[in-house]
Amino acid sequence: MLPKFDYIAPKTIEETFELLDKHGQDARLLAGGTDLIVSLRARERIPKAVIDIKAMKELHDLSFDEKRGLSIGAAVTLNRLLHYDATSKHFPVLCEAVSTIGDYEIRNRATLTGNICNASPAADSAPALLVLEAAVNVASRKGRRSIPVREFFAGVKKTVLARGEMVTSINVPTPPKGSRGGYLKARRTVGEDLAVVGVGGLVTPSSKSSKTVRLAYASVAPTPVRALEAEKIFERDKPLDELLDQAMPIVSKTISPITDVRGGKEYRTNLVEVLTRRLLQRLWEAN
Amino acid sequence: MGYKYVGKGVPRVDAFEKITGMAKFVADMEVFAMLYGKFLRSPHAHARILSIDTKRAEKHPGVVAAITGQAFPYRMGLYVRDKMVLAKDKVRWAGEPVAAVAAESEESAEEAIELIDVKYEPLAPVFDVNEALKPGAPLLHEDLAQYEHSPVFTPVPGTNIANIFKIRKGDVEDGFKRARTIVENEFSMPQVSHGAMEPRACIAQYFQDGSTEVWTCAQSPFAVRYILSHALGMPLQKINVHVPHVGGGFGGKAGINFEPLAVLLSKFSGGRPVKLLLTREEEFTTAPLRQGFYASIKTGVDGDGKIIAEQMRYIYDAGAYADYGVNIGRAAGYSCTGPYEVPNIHCDSITAYTNHPYGTAYRGFGHLEFLWAIERQMDMVAHKIGVDPVEIRLRNALRPGSITATGEKLREDAGRVDQCIKAAAESIGWGKKEKQTCDGRLQGIGIAALWKAPAMPPNAASSAIIKFNEDGSANLSVGVTEIGQGTTTSLAQIAAEELSMSFEKIRVVPVRITDLTPYSWQTVASRNLFMEGRAVIAAARDAKEQILDMGAQALRVPKADLVLENEMVFPKGQPDKGIPLQQFAMGYTYPNGTAIGGPVIGRGGYVPRGLTYLDPETGQGFPALKWTFGAQAVKIEVDPETGEVKVLKVASAFDIGKAINPLLVRGQVYGGMLQSLSIGLMEGYVYNQAGVMLNSNFTDYKIARASDVPDEHVVTLIENPQSDGPYGARGIGELTMLSIPPAIAGAIFDATGVQMFKLPMTPESIWTTIKQQKPELLARKR
Repeated sequence: MLPKFDYIAPKTIEETFELLDKHGQDARLLAGGTDLIVSLRARERIPKAVIDIKAMKELHDLSFDEKRGLSIGAAVTLNRLLHYDATSKHFPVLCEAVSTIGDYEIRNRATLTGNICNASPAADSAPALLVLEAAVNVASRKGRRSIPVREFFAGVKKTVLARGEMVTSINVPTPPKGSRGGYLKARRTVGEDLAVVGVGGLVTPSSKSSKTVRLAYASVAPTPVRALEAEKIFERDKPLDELLDQAMPIVSKTISPITDVRGGKEYRTNLVEVLTRRLLQRLWEAN
Repeated sequence: MGYKYVGKGVPRVDAFEKITGMAKFVADMEVFAMLYGKFLRSPHAHARILSIDTKRAEKHPGVVAAITGQAFPYRMGLYVRDKMVLAKDKVRWAGEPVAAVAAESEESAEEAIELIDVKYEPLAPVFDVNEALKPGAPLLHEDLAQYEHSPVFTPVPGTNIANIFKIRKGDVEDGFKRARTIVENEFSMPQVSHGAMEPRACIAQYFQDGSTEVWTCAQSPFAVRYILSHALGMPLQKINVHVPHVGGGFGGKAGINFEPLAVLLSKFSGGRPVKLLLTREEEFTTAPLRQGFYASIKTGVDGDGKIIAEQMRYIYDAGAYADYGVNIGRAAGYSCTGPYEVPNIHCDSITAYTNHPYGTAYRGFGHLEFLWAIERQMDMVAHKIGVDPVEIRLRNALRPGSITATGEKLREDAGRVDQCIKAAAESIGWGKKEKQTCDGRLQGIGIAALWKAPAMPPNAASSAIIKFNEDGSANLSVGVTEIGQGTTTSLAQIAAEELSMSFEKIRVVPVRITDLTPYSWQTVASRNLFMEGRAVIAAARDAKEQILDMGAQALRVPKADLVLENEMVFPKGQPDKGIPLQQFAMGYTYPNGTAIGGPVIGRGGYVPRGLTYLDPETGQGFPALKWTFGAQAVKIEVDPETGEVKVLKVASAFDIGKAINPLLVRGQVYGGMLQSLSIGLMEGYVYNQAGVMLNSNFTDYKIARASDVPDEHVVTLIENPQSDGPYGARGIGELTMLSIPPAIAGAIFDATGVQMFKLPMTPESIWTTIKQQKPELLARKR
């Protein structure tokens, strides 16, 4: 059974701001509900009000243009995002990552915004958004601001959103021409699972012989993390294997995996290395 | 022989209901004036209950009754009466129900539970079976000496031993002395959940005159009635148990579950009916499960790879209560060798109490567990002496005339495990393997054999009624429940074949009501097609006799000269001189209106012949109505760097005597394979140090899903008939899942050279094992 709460589905964003101001920490926003309903059922945190954002038309906007990039409204479902031509054409890393979230039925309801607002360290979309340097558009009665996704996560299940703020959309800039992205995920079964480790990567040729690399990880730290320091190694003009040998020790300083019911620390550390190598080998060769 | 229905893959009789959602399950049901029950679970694995205060819960709006263990302080149990409806004095696992409420709504019941105040004094728990058996271990049942128990079982007071079953055959010490090679290993697996789609659900109504109606998703309505009667001190005929469709059982609904609690809640609610429907989390933490298992095995072989002595110690983790667990330990004990002939055996099969949730029956009844150990051991013996895994199994295979561990001489028409092993090996491509690798993934193949007999009392009975209708159709009533296995369809095929009537004219009564339904001991043990099958044959022949008796009078032809064929009764060779079967259904009426006979009701019963109890000191005797043999082989791919395994192909072969319905047999084989693959690769309870389950949901308790299904599954059905089986058939339901895990482990060894000893073989455990046993596989290649 779900605990008792007020269910409200405001039609305008101003109404939503008022509700958020009024209820503060006692309100939870509902989009697809695939994380929220589970947590309500487990009575992890019992809100007084659940505010459904799906009645607001503007939050369903999904658009793309080369200059502005991909703009994904907070209520856009993962399957709609995946079926949108521009996503697969320009953002393969996002496509690969999002298509591993839950199963088809879950993706019919779940949203990208929900996936990052839940702020699970295992959020599959996060490494993709991190390497794509997405921006999270936030609004409240006081105004609007844009937060780089790298600054969005504050801890396990915590974001930097202030009281009264909500995410209205996510903006993903179009990656430079010739760049290639991908997401590898280790799981406990062939079937659907949360990431034991998730690795997102984006490789962009920067000159004839060198490349820039972006790497980000899920399930190996309290938040999804970008490996900025290690990425610098790949700017050098060296064979990939050599670069990897130099970069991996730096990656392992960026991450802080724990042992839990889904995997041990040592195993996760191994997976980070194995999956990073595999991903970059794949993205490298075709460049 | 040409049969019209037997041997044909006719669609299930309940297909339409289930596909359209018409089929009714207890989880869906409501009855008039129904209340909702909910229980409070213990947070401690082992603790003394100092006090329980239900006053606040009683005052909560909507609450009708709140009860504790004081409401009914009597012990009950299937074989050992060690369990109360609600814990009293102490709790024995984290999740045990300590108090319960009945309320007008589920919400109210759930809120009220939170208002019950229980004070505990934590006690030292014991979780590991080997620790539990050590002297001085915390005791689960201090009063074990006072408990009533079946004479077949031997709880040992002052210890955590719920039962110890012994096999003593030949001279094992002498055997080891003569052995060329001795191999010793230890194996284990954790507890696992049935994961049935329909959680345990029941509704009970207790009337003021003491009579009781129960609706439950039980596999065995008569067992529920019997235990309720004994526990509550009510005569059997005052209890009526209804079982509609059951949304998956797998053994988890074989005995009694939450029915007594629902009855008590109804009694304390003034006789209003009370429904208990478990949540998935409660299914994990509170409902009984498959027992954990530990084995140590010592095997001695001669120069030819023939086993000459074997010593086994099997320990089943009963958890807090014995339930079916003691009988599982016993069944594993008498089958302890696997399908091999071993002249000298020393086996102790122990069921031990621990502070885990308690174990119960689960498809395979202890056999998946010990076959994991004994088939792994077989591979390791083969490796040690340099013999092929298929060859060593064939050299030791039981054959007709072989002597089993209990001293039973296998009958002449016993099934042939050697044929099963050869068939599975052939289908998987044994001996032809070209080791392939793809992107660093290593391929391997493995094989394991299996056997099982129904674990049941020697007098377990079955019966059937075939009741004709006015239009010449008939209703077939049987006590076996339909839990998804499809037995009732096969039974209707048998009835149609015996009566030579149209399959479509036989309606299998879709509900079981103990007031009306003929008796069946239980729906378990892969026994029902065989035993209900025999009862249906007897019932059909009884009905046929009644019809032919009337036919002889009506046609003025001696009965011996009459036949019943295609719904006509006629003198042999003269179908045109016949009378339609329909005209005898309600008794035969002559043209002038005079009637003879009466409505046709065929009845049939069956009990096994010649089974015996087993000797308590040596385990010798005759436990098996039939042995079904089989073998399963797999081809897999391992990614050594991540430990991920993909099962590419499975080959299964069973000697089932006769496939009454090959379509349903295949359904069983596919389903059992996947359930077993799931246990082999991913399932298992995980606890924290205090014994609280950490993965009580399908997010972290993984079970196989559609994407885990192997690409290919070759099924070979071998039909060496057993002469006393219905049309030669043996059972199949449980057998289908018995040997996938050891076959996968064998394939992992073939692929990587590492030996697995524990289930589940998760990617992490495989990677860890490779790192320990074969680190060179992980050396980075350039």
